[in-house]
Amino acid sequence: MYLKAEFREKETAARAILELKANGFGPDALDVFSNEPVEFADGVLDRSSRMSLVVVASALTCCVLTILFVRYTQYNYPLVTGGMPLFSFWSTGVVFYELTMLGAILSSFAWFLWESGLVRRRTPAPVPDVEPGVICLRVRCGEGQEDSAGRQLQQAGATGVQKL
Amino acid sequence: MDDPVDNPALDTRRDLWQPLQGVSWRYLAVLLPLSLITLWGLTAWGYQLNRGIGVAGIRRPVFWGFYLVNFVFWIGISHAGTLISAILRLTEAEWRKPVTRAAEAITVFALMIGGMFPIVHLGRAWIFYWLFPYPNSRLLWPNFRSPLLWDLTAISTYLIGSSIFLFLPLIPDVAQLARHATGWRRWLYRRLGLGWTGSDREWHALERAMKLMAGIILAVAVSVHTVVAWDFAMAIAPMWHSTIFGPYFVAGAIFSGIAALIVAMAVIRKTMRLEKYLTPHHFNNLAKLLLLMSLLWTYFTVSENLTVWYGNEPREMMVFGARARGTFAPYFWTMVVCNFFVPFVLLGIRKLRSIKTALIASITVLIGMWLERYIIIVPTLSRPRLAAAWGSYSPTWVEISITVATFATMVVLYLSFAKLFPIISIWEFKSHDRVPES
Repeated sequence: MYLKAEFREKETAARAILELKANGFGPDALDVFSNEPVEFADGVLDRSSRMSLVVVASALTCCVLTILFVRYTQYNYPLVTGGMPLFSFWSTGVVFYELTMLGAILSSFAWFLWESGLVRRRTPAPVPDVEPGVICLRVRCGEGQEDSAGRQLQQAGATGVQKL
Repeated sequence: MDDPVDNPALDTRRDLWQPLQGVSWRYLAVLLPLSLITLWGLTAWGYQLNRGIGVAGIRRPVFWGFYLVNFVFWIGISHAGTLISAILRLTEAEWRKPVTRAAEAITVFALMIGGMFPIVHLGRAWIFYWLFPYPNSRLLWPNFRSPLLWDLTAISTYLIGSSIFLFLPLIPDVAQLARHATGWRRWLYRRLGLGWTGSDREWHALERAMKLMAGIILAVAVSVHTVVAWDFAMAIAPMWHSTIFGPYFVAGAIFSGIAALIVAMAVIRKTMRLEKYLTPHHFNNLAKLLLLMSLLWTYFTVSENLTVWYGNEPREMMVFGARARGTFAPYFWTMVVCNFFVPFVLLGIRKLRSIKTALIASITVLIGMWLERYIIIVPTLSRPRLAAAWGSYSPTWVEISITVATFATMVVLYLSFAKLFPIISIWEFKSHDRVPES
């Protein structure tokens, strides 16, 4: 089951998260909902990300594939080059650069969709309706945890605690 | 879409959703004539497709005319969004917030329009797909060495990147709109919102993606206009074969992009009653940027022309002479007045700097930058190295119609976008940094 608590300030929300974490609630059980990004201090609710790594790897892969594609096709469809080499890095460098960047752009978008969970909703957890200016904390509670979690949320300064 | 509760965050939302409601007569009075001009431009292009490229004024030796001038001009305008938005995002400049989406939308629409011109210029536009590498039995294959293909890859990458860069920060706003809108708007917003819930995982992913995209898109933006400059610089033609053409074009693109952004912001500020969000402070900052770019552009222009004049190479001096004191002199000096003297006086003197003068300076800069593209392209082509091959260029009604129509299309696209989506990003106004505990 899920509990929902509302906060007006990010400091009180952060306090509630830290207290819940200290009482055995892992980051996976906690989700913050808001109409704007809420930046907590380091260590409150950190989410790891591999986006930079994925983007760099995709860009490099795209670059290698483009070089191989251009090189292969230049020999397969030999154009008249007036004695110049069929394949040259100098004259095709712009194409490699642009397609490397295209790889980086598309992979950042794809990884954003993946990492944000927009394309992989696994558990049909209830989503609270959040008004502008309000921070909503959703807590996934195990058997018999809801009472203690509710108390901690209220002590931390939640304006309203409800079951979802 | 109205919320009765008194809350600063709700007030912001209500103010910025207000322009999306209803269609006023004033809005239609602007949109309908411009849509007709757009249709006229499409008709002119249809006429050219039917009768052939001969109906345009381009002929030997001037093979590039208005179409290529417009291409370079609009690709330059497209630098508004990317450079303003990406640089300000990366530097975390607070004043950027009401400006970024207006700028990003300019980029996408300007690129769409600019990207059309090489296709219009091709004449036989229906075989445009021959530029793409795909297996075929005729052994036709694109030449990857050709700057035309560099343009294709650069502009395609930039258009895809800019569209994603515009779309990503739009997701939270359309998701909010989806909860309150009705009818077809609700259907549209729900699909574009991708099921956004506002969870911290989504916000973290969005902010990371935006930061990465800002870095990538900056590198692409610089490369795109450099590649456009290389279309000219790679030809061993008088006053084109220059090593500074890349940075010169990039500086000019940012310059015209900022001018276009100021014009767009002034128009939406007035027509959509956004005075509270687009304040004199924003215009003052953008005016200073415009002035800075004006000085940079002047430096490049002097550097380019002084080198040619001092070198005194006969073929280059023919083109230089035609620009500075010959047939093209009125255009050249108008360009100098528009791009340097007007911004320098109106924006350089602090007492004169205001929204009105920033708007006037921006309009003159746009005129000046269009003339600059004309001055770069036509004189060089009309004065080739062999004097017997000299020629002239005068645009026909088809080219003029298509050119005018692109400006109308830009306004139509921009106004339609501003009617469908909040032109100012709502979620970027972080109320948690200012709303007190109730």
